[in-house]
Amino acid sequence: MIIRRWFRCYFYAIFLGMALMALPISAQSISEKPISEKPNVNIGVLATRGHLYLEQRWQPTVDWLNQQISDVNFVLHPLDLNTMADAVSQQTLDFVLTNPGQSVTLGRQYTLSWIATLTNKTPENTHSGIGSALVVRASSAYQTLEDVVGLSMAAVSEKAFGGYLTLRYEIAQQGINPNDFFADVHYLGFPIDANLYQLRDNNVEAAIVPVCLLENMSKEGLIDKQNFRVLNLKDNSNFACQVSTPLYPNWSLAKTERGSDRLAKQISRVLLSMPNDNPAIIAAGASGWTSSVNLLSIDKVYQALDILPLQQSWWKQALRLFRSHQEWAWVIFIFFIIINAYHFWLEYCFSKNKQELEKTQYRLKQKSEMLEHSQRVAIVGELGSSLAHEINQPLAAIRNYSEGGLLRLAKKLPYQDIVPVFEKIQSEVDRADAIINRLRTLITKRTVEKQLLDIEQLLDDTIELLHFRLQKLEVGIFREIKGKPANVEVDIVGLQQVIINVINNAMEACLTHFERHPDIGYHPEIIIRTNYRQDKFILEVVDNGTGLEHDNPVDAFVSTKKDGLGLGLAICRDVIEMHKGEFMLQSIKPNGCIVKISLPILVTEITGNRYG
Amino acid sequence: MDNVLPSLVVYVVDDDKSVRDSLKFMLEEYDFTITTFEDGQQFLNAIDLAMPGCVILDCRMPNLRGQQVHQLLNEAKSPLAVIYLTGHGNVPMAVDALQSGAVNFFQKPVKGSELALAINKGLNQSTVNINTMKINDAYASLTKREKDILRLIIAGKRNLRIADELCIAMRTVEVHRATLLKKFSAKTVAELAYIYGQCNQI
Repeated sequence: MIIRRWFRCYFYAIFLGMALMALPISAQSISEKPISEKPNVNIGVLATRGHLYLEQRWQPTVDWLNQQISDVNFVLHPLDLNTMADAVSQQTLDFVLTNPGQSVTLGRQYTLSWIATLTNKTPENTHSGIGSALVVRASSAYQTLEDVVGLSMAAVSEKAFGGYLTLRYEIAQQGINPNDFFADVHYLGFPIDANLYQLRDNNVEAAIVPVCLLENMSKEGLIDKQNFRVLNLKDNSNFACQVSTPLYPNWSLAKTERGSDRLAKQISRVLLSMPNDNPAIIAAGASGWTSSVNLLSIDKVYQALDILPLQQSWWKQALRLFRSHQEWAWVIFIFFIIINAYHFWLEYCFSKNKQELEKTQYRLKQKSEMLEHSQRVAIVGELGSSLAHEINQPLAAIRNYSEGGLLRLAKKLPYQDIVPVFEKIQSEVDRADAIINRLRTLITKRTVEKQLLDIEQLLDDTIELLHFRLQKLEVGIFREIKGKPANVEVDIVGLQQVIINVINNAMEACLTHFERHPDIGYHPEIIIRTNYRQDKFILEVVDNGTGLEHDNPVDAFVSTKKDGLGLGLAICRDVIEMHKGEFMLQSIKPNGCIVKISLPILVTEITGNRYG
Repeated sequence: MDNVLPSLVVYVVDDDKSVRDSLKFMLEEYDFTITTFEDGQQFLNAIDLAMPGCVILDCRMPNLRGQQVHQLLNEAKSPLAVIYLTGHGNVPMAVDALQSGAVNFFQKPVKGSELALAINKGLNQSTVNINTMKINDAYASLTKREKDILRLIIAGKRNLRIADELCIAMRTVEVHRATLLKKFSAKTVAELAYIYGQCNQI
């Protein structure tokens, strides 16, 4: 105490000296320079109870600072918790003045130097003014903290520093699990008086209240202090109120990174030397300022409370939760089981459906293959039928005429009688010819639309179309690409027809070869080579089948197939010639055949998009 | 080859003119008498259905199809023999045709000799048909007494015996016998028995 008094005297002396020195300077500066030219120093203050209250409380202090330190202009900035944190992070403030809770949280996030702490007005001069009281009814049997573990309690809020957190820390310090202790807490919020009323009315067994609430309410005549007891009473000779926890520092002023050290020193001096009866001190509701020394204790509380529940083996917490909410735990457990069962059931259904889907897909492919085949047969059948009918009539007539003519010859009739027969025959031949021409134009007169096409894509699609058959006949299909793929202008339907036809022929050739030489080592293969040259595109289909069996397989109505019409390759050739291309077939050694299709190319290279 | 019945007419019904004309040309070289028609209706309208002859029918024709013409001929109990000659024949069609009494079923183009053979066969059948029809008509015109006497005559019984069995006068039997010979255009009892054998209404 002697040291402190000595300090105070010392500070007073400095303060007085400074004040004496500063007064004339400030008077001079005010008269010579407008205030606005002095640099602004921003002080952010936590507005806990609105701006008006804040100004009433703190403006006198700022005015005092302005009066004492005249070379700068202190400006008060009311801020709430979030805006203050923002302002500090954006470095718009030089100093902050806030409650201990935020002091600590801010101090952890940003570099703050603590300058001064407010001291308490009542009942005695002390800088520590915040703590908790655990109050029980005087009539109850509870004597120690252990007696009230897990009982129903009332508190303001689980974030209240004075009203809750300090006690929680104390509980932990005493080796009691806070989670057990506070198993049944009712957070009543403001006004805090309600906590004691609830206790009085037997609704809770204990109340956690900020220090001095009991004394103040008793003083105001709201309750009778004699009816209550404070547990875990701390021996605090300097403090008139009963308290269950150690006391923690009051509001503090801190310098941010922006604030100047010189100014901080000056402020510290001004504040610490502020007399007790100064109106600024009275407005702030305090007894004065002291040097900031023990914010560390608050930090400890926070650290302990932050870390404790995490370090506290989580399974203990879970077990406690499980015990206190067993029915819910069971519900969740059963729900979990049901969800799992449902999941597995879905999985099962999915896999079953997937199998079915695959089967269906296989069937679909089979069907589409059959459909494709039957369509082809139908077209061929229709063509054949109409061909037969159209050509049969003149053929019948020709036969009749020629037989009649022969009979006339046999009767040795003069040649004049026979000449008309030949004329008739000739006219019938003309008719047949006309029919065939008409048919041909009918076949080739299909409207053809040529478009730029990515041949590789067309080949992919076509092979996909034939995939089922290829798989069935176990024919391996290989692709080789030479040159840079480019779009070729083709009639997509016609070219696809050609490719299908050629690949079909190749497959059948392989099958025939296998039937004739049923070697074990034979692997039917079809190689599709595409070669993009500067001026033309060459498509080669090579098989290792039986090779060509006819001199001119491209001629119409030439076929080695039992029920073939012999038109396939003829149509292929027509289509390719329509594209101004070439269609060639050749047998290769030792067995097999190569089909070579070349088409003129328009130079449009594929860049990026293959489907372009 | 020679035609058995050159006097009988052969009808050609076909919607295709070239087929019609060429058939006529060829068959005339076989010494048939040919008449051609464009379609079935025209043919039915133009000819006397009761006359013997042979008709060559195409199946697929406008107005009446070959099968319909054939059916109408059958309904009219025509003695005409029917030969089918079609561009699109199949087995069911052929079976139907033959079951309906066609002589033959040909696909175009047909060999002239085969067609001529069939026509001859058809003409023969047609004459048989018309004879049978005549006999049937004659039989149908007989009275009950005449039928009884005919049966006994065919059984080889003499007039006296017949008169005895039927309890009529011998003279009456003689008159009936003369009527029977006249009605069946027979000269002797043997011929009567032959004709009676051809009659299919007994």
